[in-house]
Amino acid sequence: MSRPRYGFLIDLRRCIGCHTCSVACKNENAVPLGVWRSWVKQIEKGEYPNVTRSFLPLLCNNCKDPICVTVCPTFASQQREDGIVTIDPHRCIGCRYCMAACPYGVRFINPILQICQKCDWCVHRVERGIQPACVDACPSNARVFGDLNDPESDIAKMIADNSVSVLKPIMGTGPQAYYIALDITAVNAKSEGQE
Amino acid sequence: MNVELLYNIHLEETFGLYIAIYFYLTGLSAGSFIMSTLSYGFGLKQFKPLGKVGVVLATILLVIAPVALLLHAGQPLKVWHLFAYINPTSPISWGSFLLTLYPINCLIYGYFMFRGDMKRTRIFGLIGIPLAIMVHGYTGFILAIAKARALWNTALMPILFLVSAMVSGIAMMILVSIIKDRFFSKDHKQNIPLLNTLAVMLAGFIVFDLFLVLSDVLVLLTSHSEAKEAASLLLYHSFSPYFVFVENIFGKIIPLTIMVTPRFRTVTGMTIGAIMVMIGIFFMRYVVVLGGEHIPLI
Repeated sequence: MSRPRYGFLIDLRRCIGCHTCSVACKNENAVPLGVWRSWVKQIEKGEYPNVTRSFLPLLCNNCKDPICVTVCPTFASQQREDGIVTIDPHRCIGCRYCMAACPYGVRFINPILQICQKCDWCVHRVERGIQPACVDACPSNARVFGDLNDPESDIAKMIADNSVSVLKPIMGTGPQAYYIALDITAVNAKSEGQE
Repeated sequence: MNVELLYNIHLEETFGLYIAIYFYLTGLSAGSFIMSTLSYGFGLKQFKPLGKVGVVLATILLVIAPVALLLHAGQPLKVWHLFAYINPTSPISWGSFLLTLYPINCLIYGYFMFRGDMKRTRIFGLIGIPLAIMVHGYTGFILAIAKARALWNTALMPILFLVSAMVSGIAMMILVSIIKDRFFSKDHKQNIPLLNTLAVMLAGFIVFDLFLVLSDVLVLLTSHSEAKEAASLLLYHSFSPYFVFVENIFGKIIPLTIMVTPRFRTVTGMTIGAIMVMIGIFFMRYVVVLGGEHIPLI
């Protein structure tokens, strides 16, 4: 069997926008107030009576060709053999270059430690053979995590069976968080007052 | 269709004002170093009065500039990591060497200049030119390689930074020459031929800078959606007062008019024009850095 390459899949047909993933992540990773490793963007679109809500759960894409690793001046951001991008807390000097380069805005400065952090698909759990906290917590099983190289894994089967998309493929970083039924309106919606 | 954003996380500023100040100071330093080498490196005698003051300013500015970086970094005590772990693909890693070598070279060059050893001054002046170009050019690469931002991710960024560095450097040299002759010379007589030469050089670099900015904006306006958003942010939305009026009209077009019109090109006119240029270039750094990261990514 080939070496694992982990991937993430979010089935938006199942997502109910409950934010349980965000809470589970905060809890698991001791994420301080004001910053998030994983969150759910929400929009409302249309006019009554034809209205719907769309959800866009966001987390690190752990890209195939991560620009954060390219630009990190101290090798604090590194890519593991299984594809997960990690940040060495001792190496990071908090220069914020990776945050400036990441097209997905998933990196933040930990206000207590003053170093950069991000979602690493709960690598400490994955190493022990358990699922990331958000995947375990999701009440509607909308989140799937697994080995993309193993054709028998749930994620590989679901990607093979469905039409999937990724965020901003034009950036050329090869994001490995896949979405089923991604709503482009939710991706493009920008906060008010900002062009 | 009516779309309303109900919930999202706001990204924090990544580079911000400190980095804009850092870019401004390295630009001024590189510009004044290059002006200093015109006489002591290339033997253009009319620029001799700028030689010593140029290298002093270049050194001081490049000692102050990294302070902005230390204030910006979350863990300033860990900066030695930049020398211990070097990533050749990261422009910040290139910078850690340039920011060390360039001021050292400035000190050596200045030392020989003040000692009157013209041969060695010339050698270190010529070594310093590529260093000065790199120490400011690499800051352009920092932004250009941060591919998330349409305003930054352009191959024009390094040359745009270098040209604007020359613009601000020459403007500073005009001010320096005027102040030096006004307050520190025996006869208080202005060096008009030097000022006229600098004014013409400044006008030339402003025209080049305007051309680069125009090319940049025209391409952004017709490129992909995020590039169009960035262009409209600069032209019509919250950054347009800084970009259109302060950076380009106040900081480039009006000074350009002063520098090319003999009637306005008096000592007073050049003083005002040079101050306007220096303010304008500061706002160029401000617009590029803060405007670049103003639009939310997701």
